[in-house]
Amino acid sequence: MTLLQALFTLLIFPGGLFLIANGLIYQWVRRKLIARLQNRIGPRWFQPLADTIKLLAKEEIQPEGSNPLLFNLLPMIALAGALTAALYLPIAGLASASSFPGDLIVTLYLLSLLTICTSLAGFNSHDRFSVMGALRTLTQLFAYEAPFMFALLGPAVTAGSWEISQIAANPNWLLLTQPIGFVIALIGFMGKLELAPFDAPEAETEIVAGALTEYSGRGLALFHLSRAVELVAGLTLIAAFYLGGLSNPFDDLFKTLLLLFTLAGAQTLLTRLRITQTVGLWWRYGVLLMLAQWLVIIAGRAL
Amino acid sequence: MTQKFTLPVGPQHPALKEPGHFEFTVEGEIVTGATVRLGYAHRGIEKATEGRNWTQDIYLLERICGICSHVHALAFCLGVEQLAGVTAPPRAQAIRVLVAELERIHSHLLWLGVAAHEAGFDTLFMYAWRDRETVMDALETLTGNRVNYSANLLGGVKCDVTSASASQIYHAVDKLEERTRHYLDVVMNDDLLIQRTRGVGVMTVEQVDQMGVMGPTARASGVMRDIRCIAPYSAYVEFPIQPIVETSGDLQARFIVRVKELFESYRLIRTILDHLPDGDLKTRMPRRIKAGETISRVEAPRGELFYFIKSNGTDTPERVKVRTPTLCNLASVLTLAVGRQVADIPMILVGIDPCFSCNDRAVLLLDQSGERRWTWEKLRQYGIDFYRRQQ
Amino acid sequence: MTLDKMQDRLKIWAEETQTPEANRLDVTITVGNLLAAVAVLKAEGWYLSAITGLDYGHDADRMEVLYHFCFGAETLTLRVSAPHDTPSVPSICHLIPPAVVFERELAEMFGIVVVGIPNSDHLFLPDDWDNRVFPLRKDARLE
Repeated sequence: MTLLQALFTLLIFPGGLFLIANGLIYQWVRRKLIARLQNRIGPRWFQPLADTIKLLAKEEIQPEGSNPLLFNLLPMIALAGALTAALYLPIAGLASASSFPGDLIVTLYLLSLLTICTSLAGFNSHDRFSVMGALRTLTQLFAYEAPFMFALLGPAVTAGSWEISQIAANPNWLLLTQPIGFVIALIGFMGKLELAPFDAPEAETEIVAGALTEYSGRGLALFHLSRAVELVAGLTLIAAFYLGGLSNPFDDLFKTLLLLFTLAGAQTLLTRLRITQTVGLWWRYGVLLMLAQWLVIIAGRAL
Repeated sequence: MTQKFTLPVGPQHPALKEPGHFEFTVEGEIVTGATVRLGYAHRGIEKATEGRNWTQDIYLLERICGICSHVHALAFCLGVEQLAGVTAPPRAQAIRVLVAELERIHSHLLWLGVAAHEAGFDTLFMYAWRDRETVMDALETLTGNRVNYSANLLGGVKCDVTSASASQIYHAVDKLEERTRHYLDVVMNDDLLIQRTRGVGVMTVEQVDQMGVMGPTARASGVMRDIRCIAPYSAYVEFPIQPIVETSGDLQARFIVRVKELFESYRLIRTILDHLPDGDLKTRMPRRIKAGETISRVEAPRGELFYFIKSNGTDTPERVKVRTPTLCNLASVLTLAVGRQVADIPMILVGIDPCFSCNDRAVLLLDQSGERRWTWEKLRQYGIDFYRRQQ
Repeated sequence: MTLDKMQDRLKIWAEETQTPEANRLDVTITVGNLLAAVAVLKAEGWYLSAITGLDYGHDADRMEVLYHFCFGAETLTLRVSAPHDTPSVPSICHLIPPAVVFERELAEMFGIVVVGIPNSDHLFLPDDWDNRVFPLRKDARLE
């Protein structure tokens, strides 16, 4: 691979610009869908982009007592993590930009980076709402992370590989054979993105904007971008694993939008859970169901 | 934990659309203490009434609250009519109740939306507020205004029900009744919403008595405290209302009471329109009111509204005391929040349907330096200039 | 009628009793008897609806505090007078805890000292308000 090719991969496609554009469009689709379901008109197609540009141009106010280096670095790490994770994924239904045996584990950790950066940013902000939000973000992470990982490891066990491209090569819709895993992966992903009903970490009526309360300008824009990129990455991962792989761009578009519809529908219908209820839900039901699913998978392989 | 961690809610906070300041002491997610500070929307209305004549005061008092404006004017007019020994004609009384019930629908739908939003259920919020438009349009047809209807006069009302406005109100009520059935279903059966409301902020009958809680909040705890029933005023004598009482005393009961009250309002509105008495809209009122004191109590959407009016025989009141239901109910929030989770704070707060503008009534308007005071004339001129610039 | 019964119960402290309108009873009592009268009303199940302050200007050399109690359709008002120069009434918060908001309002708006109030912070007025100005007194002028 030449240097030029590498730069293109990192900055234009599938990394960098393409992912960000894709993420912003998907955020718009999600917002528009929710708006229509709630009998509102909803934003115009360029609204997420306009928001990002506006935030990038805005003055950033750094709270007193916070560490300036961390305050500026954390949003960048979050975005870098989300973008890097996407390099191992079959973005747009094409072959992933890079892969090696075991890249699934790396990707899962890179996807968690956003959550960890968000909560660290909250603790660093020295604000009451931020600290409450950061605490909730971390609490929620501990609730959904284990079942979410298990849910994505299910297809890996079936495929007998830890490499994303090999797992995704399975043309069967695992949704049919591992329905619990699919549901938990999708719900866990909602928790990761702090979408309703798992938006307690940023419940505006309780703790304003949660961990990111003190972020105003560039930092907030970067966090928003990383969330948009993560939306694309997560949808691609779940679609590739559970919906029979992604063979071409149209296949990808169809399957990820299908998942996005499901997400938006759930977001519209459900009431926010208290943080204790979220934790209870995951550990009482999520984990047990996931273990049951694993028993079935292991039994299936043994026979 | 030795150091206290306080969580301020307000005066600017997304949970409160009006300014009030609460400070909650929390340990982790559990609330251990609460205090309140008001006055951010204090406008000197009680004092200002003493400098204006009786008629001007109706319009001033109506602006205490943007949502339950009609009941303020109604309480004041009923009190002043009592002092003057005048009774408004039956048709006027019926129209007053008609507007009051439409306003209750408006207020309860607004509350339903806000409460759902506090719970993080934005879809119900959007739907309830969309339907609220229907009743606001009906009010506009009837009175000419969507809020601050200015329907009352001393000795009567100034808007009449025409056949056109009557048919629009019938239509609006039919439409809303169908929607409300759906909302009742959501409030009673939606699993996730129930998780956030059932057993939250439970208030016992003893607590209601001890804290002096009013209105739907009290009725959700099994205490029948509804002025429309226990001391009927205006046309509630001829058009009685069935009180809605729930016994469980939690947030869900407060949801159910308010939604069920909507049905009662729809029924009453239809009955009034069916049997609207004929006759004059107003009767003659003296400009000076006989010296005396009176107490006027009406049922606002949020509970009992209490007016004490003292006249000294001139054309201006000597003293007007307004006690709004929110002030009585606020104490219950501070008590009920303790021991609950942070996530329940906005829910318990909104459970009483707080109205801070109602709460904060009186003081002189200060400009930014805090020194100079705006005179009435200056303020009026400012308003005129402002709107001229807009054109 | 409950009002007749209450008139009877409060007779020992009543200096003057009036029935200005139907369903209303005004009982004038001295400051010293206020707590005893409130305790009786509370025991009978009446709830405190509001506390009104009345200022009659400098010439009258007295202020009045009205405690409005309600029971169903009936309203009973306890009227207490206080000297204009040094007005003070006892707090009724230990009997009726939510009365604290009414008493805080009374104190800041009329400058009536409420003895034994659990929380004497301003409720409506700003913290840096001039403590010699009491907005609802007659001599406080809206410019």
